[in-house]
Amino acid sequence: MISLKNIGKIYQRNDGASVVALRDVSFEVQRGEFVTLRGPSGSGKSSLLNIIGCLDRPTSGTFELEGIPLAGLADRELSQIRSRRIGFVFQAFHLLPRSTALENVELPMIYSGRPVDRTKALEALARVGLRDRADHYSAELSGGQQQRVALARALSNDPALILADEPTGNLDSVAGHEVMSLLVSLNEEGRTIVLVTHDDAVAAYANREIRLCDGRVIEDRSARAESISGEAAQ
Amino acid sequence: MNGFAINGLALRALSRAPLRATLMMLGIVVGIGALTVLNVMGEATRADTMKRFRNMLGTFDTVMVRPGAGKTRGMVSLTNVPPTLKFEDAEAIAQSPEIRQVALLQNAFGVDVKYRDRSDTPAIFGVSANWEQLRGDDVAEGRFISDEDIRAKSRVAVLGAGVVSLLFPGESAVGKTIRIGGVPFQVIGTLPSRGAGPTGASLDDLIAIPVTTASTRLFNRDYLTMIVAQLRNPERADQAVESVRSLLRTRHHIATAALDDFTLTNPAAMLKNVNRMNSILAGLLQGVAILATGIGGLVILGLMLAGVTQRRGAIGVARAVGATRSDILVQFVLEAGWASLAGGLTGIVIGAAIAWLAVRAQNLPMALPLASLSENLAFAILMGFLGGLYPAWRAARVDPVTALRA
Repeated sequence: MISLKNIGKIYQRNDGASVVALRDVSFEVQRGEFVTLRGPSGSGKSSLLNIIGCLDRPTSGTFELEGIPLAGLADRELSQIRSRRIGFVFQAFHLLPRSTALENVELPMIYSGRPVDRTKALEALARVGLRDRADHYSAELSGGQQQRVALARALSNDPALILADEPTGNLDSVAGHEVMSLLVSLNEEGRTIVLVTHDDAVAAYANREIRLCDGRVIEDRSARAESISGEAAQ
Repeated sequence: MNGFAINGLALRALSRAPLRATLMMLGIVVGIGALTVLNVMGEATRADTMKRFRNMLGTFDTVMVRPGAGKTRGMVSLTNVPPTLKFEDAEAIAQSPEIRQVALLQNAFGVDVKYRDRSDTPAIFGVSANWEQLRGDDVAEGRFISDEDIRAKSRVAVLGAGVVSLLFPGESAVGKTIRIGGVPFQVIGTLPSRGAGPTGASLDDLIAIPVTTASTRLFNRDYLTMIVAQLRNPERADQAVESVRSLLRTRHHIATAALDDFTLTNPAAMLKNVNRMNSILAGLLQGVAILATGIGGLVILGLMLAGVTQRRGAIGVARAVGATRSDILVQFVLEAGWASLAGGLTGIVIGAAIAWLAVRAQNLPMALPLASLSENLAFAILMGFLGGLYPAWRAARVDPVTALRA
């Protein structure tokens, strides 16, 4: 599903100094895995998620998504990959405030270039238990409901890969648990999930944990095996 | 790209923020509204002027020949023209291949006219028999002067509507005898009312008599005040003017270097540009209106730029869920475009309504210059497009990674 080889990422700051965000990161994620990326802030986990999400390009190394090397693809092609293969969930939800839940869920369909399928959008809302909130403006919904709408939005183009950046960071524990349960059920139906968090409780839902520090992978642990395995073991 | 759906997003951004959308339209509405008022008023004034000239001339496809080198101002009369334009000149012009027919005029103003104890001082028009027909008109009652009247120098008169109402209030004029400058004339017909001429003066205060009678029995003058030569082909007005010019120069023995002793006018050419831009003030107003529309474009630019900053997160999400840079560009340009189109249409409706009130108050004919109005609309859309382009470009360049970090 995801193959990263020797990925490095260097940011150019405004004052000209360069910041190394990722150094020589290599790992693979198989279809159907539920992986958390963990580490202290500044460890490079968000940078890594942006690269996997085709929002950013690595400075060095090779990245393949479903066997397709992404280096050298144009903006249009990367956009199409994001549109059809990847669903995003953000800590701050990022719903359009002046749009209804349904309109938010339909947004990825609009940019996919395919006709907007209202039935499918309503199904995605039903999936997160908010079918009856379809015509509510997103500002009228609670935080947990907003994140579930965001999850429905991520599902609307039926992606195989879901990327979540601290999806429960702005939620209380009950709402957080609802969102995580939904992610688990999505994983159980075969979708690959990569989730950034620093919350142990959230990490416990996953079956693999990759720890980053200073832009390097320092630990790659399969939760079920309860064993620590290095990159060599992959 | 799903153009319809992206257009829907642009419209939604406007309709869900009505205050912002109204502000975006405002400058365009004011500018285009002012332009529309100017256009409609200008067209109404122009149409009114044309109508007045038509009242006076009947047809514009003529060459009007007046004696004198363009010095005469206003209406010609026996007292203000040199005695150079002769009956024979008219006959010669009538022979020109460019000319269908000529009408002759020998006129004077303020001549004493009496019927019993009533009197008037109208203009006396000594005219040829085809005069009224060339003006595209017919008598209201009785008949007009005939070729036989011209030949016989009959003392017959056709009264304008103003004269009829003064001399014959409530009775029929035809068959009565009036005295023009002491000479008795029999009334053979009356003319319908023609309304006002270009100067606003009435065109009904006149009496038409045979030009031969005027020349020999009333004024005792052998020269004409005007010859109206009708064109055979209105497309060839310039050629007709030149042929009449060379003909008259030969007949009047004018040396090659000397100036004409007559003035030729083709009313169609003269009126082509009448009132299109009839004063410095109108030009200034139009400049201000165009400037206001331009400022409207800048308002759109400013509000769109603010919107791009405000909606960075939304742009980031759109990019994350699959929007290409051109999707974002198109969406923002469309948003500015719709705002300016709506502003332009609103401006035209409001401007036309204001102009309509003014036109009605001034009793002008209502006019709807569609060509100018669609130019205004195109101008509005162009301004919105220009105002939206740069913000849209900025929006398309928003980096989703930084936009989503917040």
